[in-house]
Parts: sequence; C-alpha cells; structure tokens
Amino acid sequence: MGKLPTSVLQRPRAAAALLTSSTTTTSFTSTSSLSPRISPHCGSSQVRHATFVPRARRPYQFTQLVQLSDGSTFTARTTMPQGMYKSTKDSRNHQVWQPSDKSLKNVEVDEAGKLAAFRERFGRGWDLDQQPLEGEAPAAVGGGAEAATKGAGAQNQEQQKQAATPAEPSEDPFDSLTDLISQYHTADKSIKGGMTAKEAEKLLGKKKK
Amino acid sequence: MASLRGAYRSARSLPLSPLSRQAYPAPACTQRRTAASAAAVTAAILEELETTTLDAPQLSPEEKKEFRPWKRAADREFNLPGSRYQYHPPKYNRGPLHPIQSPPSSDPIARDYVPGPFNLPRLKETYRATVASDLMTLAYNHVPPGTPSREPAERLRSWVGDSPYFKNRDRRAPRGSPQLTLKERDITFRHIPEIKEITIATYAPKAADEPDHLLVARMMLMSITGVLPEITKTKQDVQAWRIRKGQRSGVKCTMYGNQAYEFLDRLIHIVLPRIKEWPGVKGTTGDSSGNLSFGLSTEHMHLFPEIELNHDMYPGKMLTGCRIFIKTTATSDRHARLLMKAMGLPFYGELRD
Repeated sequence: MGKLPTSVLQRPRAAAALLTSSTTTTSFTSTSSLSPRISPHCGSSQVRHATFVPRARRPYQFTQLVQLSDGSTFTARTTMPQGMYKSTKDSRNHQVWQPSDKSLKNVEVDEAGKLAAFRERFGRGWDLDQQPLEGEAPAAVGGGAEAATKGAGAQNQEQQKQAATPAEPSEDPFDSLTDLISQYHTADKSIKGGMTAKEAEKLLGKKKK
Repeated sequence: MASLRGAYRSARSLPLSPLSRQAYPAPACTQRRTAASAAAVTAAILEELETTTLDAPQLSPEEKKEFRPWKRAADREFNLPGSRYQYHPPKYNRGPLHPIQSPPSSDPIARDYVPGPFNLPRLKETYRATVASDLMTLAYNHVPPGTPSREPAERLRSWVGDSPYFKNRDRRAPRGSPQLTLKERDITFRHIPEIKEITIATYAPKAADEPDHLLVARMMLMSITGVLPEITKTKQDVQAWRIRKGQRSGVKCTMYGNQAYEFLDRLIHIVLPRIKEWPGVKGTTGDSSGNLSFGLSTEHMHLFPEIELNHDMYPGKMLTGCRIFIKTTATSDRHARLLMKAMGLPFYGELRD
C-alpha cells in the first residue's frame, strides 16, 4: 500500500451521479460544499483497495542442451548462455550413483595405454601397494621389457638378484635415475611400519627410566 | 514453360486451401481425357516442387517508377494505427467490482505474465513416470477393510492439578517443543510426497563492512537459480560475532515448481558428483516434518556450471557457501528421504526418522 496513485480512474457512473447530485440538489450540506472543489477528472476519493501489480523480475533464461558423460542429452533452462553443456563428471560415471558399474571401481583410467606402457618399460617396483602376481617378477626393475616377459623360475631368481644389487648404469641417464628411485623404494621396507618422532621420543623416555 | 508457371502462380494466389488448389486443374483434365494433358499436369506438379524465386520476371523500369510506397504514405490523409499494441494493463488491482480489471496473469500482456513452461524438466518427468508410483507401491501399508481406526492419541498435555482454573483451559504443548511436529501419514494415491519448494540461503556477515559481499552473493544465487534473490537481515545482536540486529547480512531465494526440479536435477546429477570424496547428505538431517537441508561450502559453489562459466566474474574471496533447504509435502523425514533417494540424492551415516 506504499504507492498509491495520485489520480485514480473513476467509475463513469459514479462520477456522473456525483456531478448530477452536485448540480441538481442543494439540500446536502457537506457534499454540496465539497463538490465544487473536486474536479471531475481526478478521483473524488482515493481507492484504498488498490494493490500494485508487480512486473516479474527475473533473469533471462536460455534453453540449454545438456549432455551427460554417457551421451544422453536433455534440455534445461539456465541463466548461462551456452547452447550446449557437456559434462565430463556427473552421476552417470560416479561410483556413488552407479555402484554396480565395475569399470568405475578402477580408479586408474588408462584409455591410451600409457600407464601400461610405463609399467612394461619400468616394471612395478616403485609401487608399494602392489601384490606380487604369479608369473610376474616381484621387482621387475632393472630388466625393463625383459623383466615383464613371463620367464621361467630361474630367470626370475636372476632378476631378483639383479634387483637386490644396484643396477648397472645404462646408456640413458633418465632410465638409470628412475631405476635408482624405484629400487630405493623397494629396498626400504621400514616406511610402512616406521614410527613417528613422538613415538620414538616416548620409547627413549621409557628406556631412560 | 514460363507461361505455365505464371498460370500456376495465379492459381496459387487464389484464396483456396492447398488441397483444393491441387484439385483445381483436375476438371479441365477430365474433360479432355488425353494422355498429353495428364502428362502436363504431372509436369506442373513437378514444376511446383522445383519452383525457385530466382527465375521470377524482373520488374520493368516503368513498374519500378510506379512503386512508391513513401508517396502513398505521404498522400494518406489519416494515420494508420500504430504497429504496437497500444493497450496497457492497469498498474493497480482495484478490487473485483472496479470497472478496470487487469487481465489474468496467463495473458501475455498482463503485467505479472511469466512465459513458459518451455520444457518438461527431466527430473519431473522421472518423478511422474516412475518415482511416484514406486513410492506409492513400496510404502503401501495394508489395512484390512473394516478395521476400526484407532483413536488419535492426545498429543497435547492436559492440565493436572487441583486448581479450579485448570477447568476448560487450553491444553499444553508437548514437553520440550513449543510446536507440534507433523504426524506421519501413510503414502496413498492422494498424497505421494513431492517437492514443494527449494530455498537457497547464503550468509555473508562481512557485508556489514563491505556491501559488495551482498552483491556477489546475489549474483551467485541468481545465476544458479534463475530467481531474483532477496536480502535477509540479522535477527539478533551477538557481540562476540560483531553482528547487530537488522544488518543486511545474507541473501536467499526460493524456487517453486519446474524451477525447483530443474535446480535439483542440476545439483544432483552435475554438481554433487563433481565434489571430491563427497559422502552424501547427512542421514540425520531434517526437521521431522519432511524438510531436508544440507550445505555446500565455498569451493563447491565453483562446481556449478553457471558459476564455472563466468568464473572470473566472481571475486574469489567474496564467494560464500550456501545452505539448501528442500521442502517436500512428505509428513516425516523418512518419507522425504525416500523421495530424495529415489530422485538420486545419496545419504550417509545414521538415519533419523
């Protein structure tokens, strides 16, 4: 009710009646005295029941084609002016929403086969969590491609021995460096079961006492 | 050939339906009944399929000189009505008895007209097609006909004591809560839980010092929801947090109907899966009357496609998280959770009904 029109349109009948009454009858005391002042154009009294009709204020919305990761599409209304939205990660390829999809359980995505190629070249010696598989060299590091081949037991033992001793520097400096790093990891078994500085301190304190 | 085409064009200009126009040359053919005329008719039909405006005859210089629309407009003694529709609906509603009535809001010239719907939201379609019937079937509680209905337990406490004033006094509210929570009703075909509205609220207390925070929050919510947000104020004085009552310190907006479904679809299927290691909505959420809520932090807001697209527009330090309230027509959290699970919202942890 904050904004009221200063001049409100009047009902034609009411206005006519008011005009005729003011001109013909003089018996009214109050209305006749008031009526000359009121012009017929503006309303004689403000209408208190006027409610403002607001225009809808809303941002422009576009119709957008959304393509989910599995290729399904649907239209959606959004404020973004892009005609097509392609999502790479959504509920179609998420583990929580697709619990039965086994392909999603594998975290490693190796579509181009680069990781497999890496493993073929450098082995899995760097991987602490790996389970030693049957027929595969447990620390197939130094041999490279030869190590990855399914060799006989004797060959495997030989490879293990090689892994235990520091690898010979090959021609490629990058190769030798990765070997060094990976061997360091395999050799160091105390990483998992190690203790923190706090624990060590505690132990020392106990011994002192 | 050109004359034939011209004849056909004149026939086309006749105020006839396309069907009758096709039938128009037929009587002439039947009179002659010659193979040549039939071939001509088929040729004409084929011609009609292959017509182009490129080989239309050019206007002669005399015809060009004759064609002076500006002269006709200048010579005209009266003005043509304007091209715009001149009627404007009234700015004010003045009651049902007033001679000036505003058109209904469905009328495109009405002031409060909102165009649409332009699409059927995917989630709404899913709800109608599968979720509603599934909910009704799976939550069916069989009551054999003729079973006497149990009298509803009195949930308000009566006044116990010797005082004579206790007589006819209004019953007391339940212990511990001033209001009665809703009682769970069975899901029947009459009331299958559905989404009533969704409210998003943002709290930006820094707006007291720098009002730009409100602007950023407003832009954020508006782009996400497509609804013009309103500004909220602080309810209470808290000295420790340096907030005063009446400060403009937040922004909220509410979506209804299709917009709510659209937003929920976007949230569940595009935004939430992109959150790293998001466990789901906490199972204990809810106000025990079928309204669930959860929050998104600041970094999660960047995952909305609308914000992601215009990422540079939002000052990083001013962006705030938000709380999302999903209000359903369910009468208990259990039913609301059923609905939201069917819609695809995961829950984790202990569930509270």
